[in-house]
Amino acid sequence: MKRISLIALMFVSALFFKANAQEATVNEKLSEVNDKVTGITERLATDEADLQKLTKIKISGYIQAQYNKTYSLASAPMNNYFSLRRARVKFTYEATDGVKFVLQPDFSPQAITLKDAYTVLNDRWTKSFSLWMGKFNRPNYEVEYSSSQREVLERSSVIRAIYPGERAIGAKLEFNPQSLPLHVQLAIYNGADALQIKKVDGSFLYDGKNTFVSAADENKDFDNGKDIMLRATYNVRLGNFGGLDFGAHTYFGSLKSMSTSTLSSDYKTATAANVGDAIKRNWVGGEFQLFADILGGLSVKGEYIAGKNATIGFKPVAAAGTAAAIAGLPNFQNNFAGYYLYFIKNLGKKNQFALRYDYYDPNTDVKGKDLTAAASIAGYANADKTYAKKITTSDLATTTIGLALHHYFDDNLRITLEYDIVQNEKAGAANVLTGNYTKLDGTSTGGKDSAGNALPAGLDYSKLINNNLLTLRIQAKF
Amino acid sequence: MKSLNSIKFAVIAILLGLIGFAFAPAADKIVVKGSDTMVILAQKWAEVYMKSNSSVAIQVTGGGSGTGVSALINGATDICNSSRKMKNTEKEKLKARYNTLGVEIACAKDGITVYLNPSNKVRELTIKQLSEIYKGNIKNWKEVGGPDADIKLYGRENSSGTYVFFQENVVKGDYAPSCQTLPGTAAVVNAVAKDPNGIGYGGAAYATGIEICKVKKDDKSAGSIPTAETIKTGEYPITRYLYMYLRNKPTGAMKSYIDWILSPEGQKLVVEMGYFPVK
Repeated sequence: MKRISLIALMFVSALFFKANAQEATVNEKLSEVNDKVTGITERLATDEADLQKLTKIKISGYIQAQYNKTYSLASAPMNNYFSLRRARVKFTYEATDGVKFVLQPDFSPQAITLKDAYTVLNDRWTKSFSLWMGKFNRPNYEVEYSSSQREVLERSSVIRAIYPGERAIGAKLEFNPQSLPLHVQLAIYNGADALQIKKVDGSFLYDGKNTFVSAADENKDFDNGKDIMLRATYNVRLGNFGGLDFGAHTYFGSLKSMSTSTLSSDYKTATAANVGDAIKRNWVGGEFQLFADILGGLSVKGEYIAGKNATIGFKPVAAAGTAAAIAGLPNFQNNFAGYYLYFIKNLGKKNQFALRYDYYDPNTDVKGKDLTAAASIAGYANADKTYAKKITTSDLATTTIGLALHHYFDDNLRITLEYDIVQNEKAGAANVLTGNYTKLDGTSTGGKDSAGNALPAGLDYSKLINNNLLTLRIQAKF
Repeated sequence: MKSLNSIKFAVIAILLGLIGFAFAPAADKIVVKGSDTMVILAQKWAEVYMKSNSSVAIQVTGGGSGTGVSALINGATDICNSSRKMKNTEKEKLKARYNTLGVEIACAKDGITVYLNPSNKVRELTIKQLSEIYKGNIKNWKEVGGPDADIKLYGRENSSGTYVFFQENVVKGDYAPSCQTLPGTAAVVNAVAKDPNGIGYGGAAYATGIEICKVKKDDKSAGSIPTAETIKTGEYPITRYLYMYLRNKPTGAMKSYIDWILSPEGQKLVVEMGYFPVK
């Protein structure tokens, strides 16, 4: 009996020790799993922290590929082509709340250029101010309205003329008060961005791409004067009808004179100027955008801009040795005016129709009738003929009617068919430009006018020149 | 002659735009997308409405207020549910794409509830304390009268309207990087229910299996939890409207549905689902 009890005791003890051993093993395993889970959690936390950094980077962009058929005689014999209008990627990095860096290169088959590169600092206290510095869009409605959203494919003529390239290098202060639908932008720029300024030998001092061609100091200013822009807009809610945004912007700028004469807009007065004088470029514009929740949604937008623009000439160079004299070119200040008016209408959820009437007169002091033949230009009679500058077809006004139909496949893909009807102001045809001398390629037919003079080559601006354009564009954005 | 043709062409094009395609075809299918906070309410509305209006099909999905607004802007939804107001940047996008300012309809009220684990001794917090906790400046429960344990933060993803509203009205700064973001209020409630040291926030309608934390405007005021009474009187400090956004003024089936939501019948469901009526 004792032996049986002893065996039973040993058996129970063995079981107990085995259970303890198993428990110890389970505990070890548990501890091991626990350690592994802790390790994985730590790694996940690290990965999550890395991912958080990546979420601060936003990448967007768009590609616009298009087919154009042009009806312009100037572009003959080539009258249709495919092109890549835009291929852009925009990188936005929000370092912390209120600090943003933006970099946007533009890819073209020939080169990569930098379109936007700026930093934005938002005030974290009132949340009303933001400071921009770098290269960014000038403050204007159509300039700041992305071409990926624009209802008519290209910007209006006046905008393209006064804000070439849209962007400029400088700084901007924005004011967006929390309690008011007011938006104020005050910007200061170098002011020579995308302008072409020639040297006396005809080569570019400033090539329109923000670079001094002959110098190594890229992206710097052409002069010490800075240009200032101010834009203010206000939004009004019109009950259930919709809303009205309206505002104005102004530009105060100048370019450094390189000539010793400045010619007036009407080509009649040349005033003496010193090299280094500030040749003013000032204008003002008013804008509105009306959004109406009727007939499925439509909008009417418009802007009028007028003022004085300027181009820079160069002083004459006297003959020296075997080098011939070079005639100078005066600075030129032209009074201009332009406006555009959009009508945009949704056609269901997927389609949109847009019409734009766009007018630009680069010189309001010269009428088409003033432009006759080279020999008969009246008006400019400065004694110093080396400063001669003539009225040209670039002084004529242009009207463009753009009709566009968009289809949105989805948020990323838009296809557009647009037809632009381009009409020029007619030149005065008295005496000389009476015949239809224009051939398809724009050269002279070899005919003679009624007086027996040989007809010159070129397009006949005494008639409406067909510059119409058909565009089929596919836009993909992400 | 040419200019005459151009004008004719332009006039015809405008007439086509105005008359030919003036109205979008009336749809009997209504797509609703957006706020996760509102999704159970929106589903309930749709379910009850479709029972008595069998010709109308209403499809409801969540995804967050930001997702809903994006869908409204790109035409993927007819109604966007949002637990926050549309941002100006979003309104600009809507203007650019659809030429309207959108239509905002407040359809319910909500009290953003602060969830605690039932085992947590802490029962009330001030707005200031909540801000410091979610900024990561207060890291231990003992700093607010609780046990000596690290605070585990749970919150919503940044596409959520609740995330934005809580950040703008309570946190007033950046969320702490340690805040674990979860997809949906239900997930936040679930996480806090399982974590003794957890804290979360979300809609009042989801508050089950957790302790509702009383919230005080400041040190001197009394704490309160979101109830019909405290929200109506403004005593509970974290209240907000819940919105529906449309591209255009509603017509046809859409108008009937929205009128019904704002009717006593629709608002009764608001209360039944744990939210608070607009009026």
